[in-house]
Amino acid sequence: MNKHVKLAFMVAPILAIVGFIAADFYKESEAAKDKIVQLVTQGHCDIVNKSCVLVSGEFKVNVSDEAGVTEVNSTFPLDSATLFLVDKNNKMTPYPLGMIKNPYYWRNNTPLGQLLANKGASQKLRLIAKIKGGQYISEFSSQTVK
Amino acid sequence: MENKEKYWQENLRLIFICLAIWFFVSFGLGLLLVEPLNEFRLGGYKLGFWFAQQGSIYAFLGLIFWYGAKMNKLDKKYDVES
Repeated sequence: MNKHVKLAFMVAPILAIVGFIAADFYKESEAAKDKIVQLVTQGHCDIVNKSCVLVSGEFKVNVSDEAGVTEVNSTFPLDSATLFLVDKNNKMTPYPLGMIKNPYYWRNNTPLGQLLANKGASQKLRLIAKIKGGQYISEFSSQTVK
Repeated sequence: MENKEKYWQENLRLIFICLAIWFFVSFGLGLLLVEPLNEFRLGGYKLGFWFAQQGSIYAFLGLIFWYGAKMNKLDKKYDVES
């Protein structure tokens, strides 16, 4: 090993540390920018039968309803979550969800259970889930299949 | 004196080439182009992720030995004592 290789081996860790710090700054500034990401339904969405998953990459949101309480459960902690019920005239009624124990679980009383009680019933919904550095939005329909 | 100047200029050129490759491999492939590279896979890993985790380190090691070899040639060319 000659002197140049020895010198390069001494300089390389310093460059690696500088690179690590610069990469950290870069990713932090990227994460600070507000992003809007659209969630899509994974297969058929049936909220009443607890089979409604919205997905974008590794982020998943499960929407379910039981006894008039609609619950949103996500794979990453949320800052806030709002569910909108959309009627036939495209008019939205917002239902801000409240955090339950930890920021992975959010719920609120909604009339969704009544609206989707019968087999074949369908309801258009919108969801806005705020997370550090961005918003996840989705427009989807839930249809009761059984 | 002129020889020393040329030797130093060529050394600097080599260092800048190494730094450019270092930047391209680590920031370019591991951060800026990570999404398109992740469409491809290498040994079961997403290529962008692999570059950020391992590929760039292999490239750094390669650069060290390449730099050493090139400098050896420069030393001989300009008759610099090693």
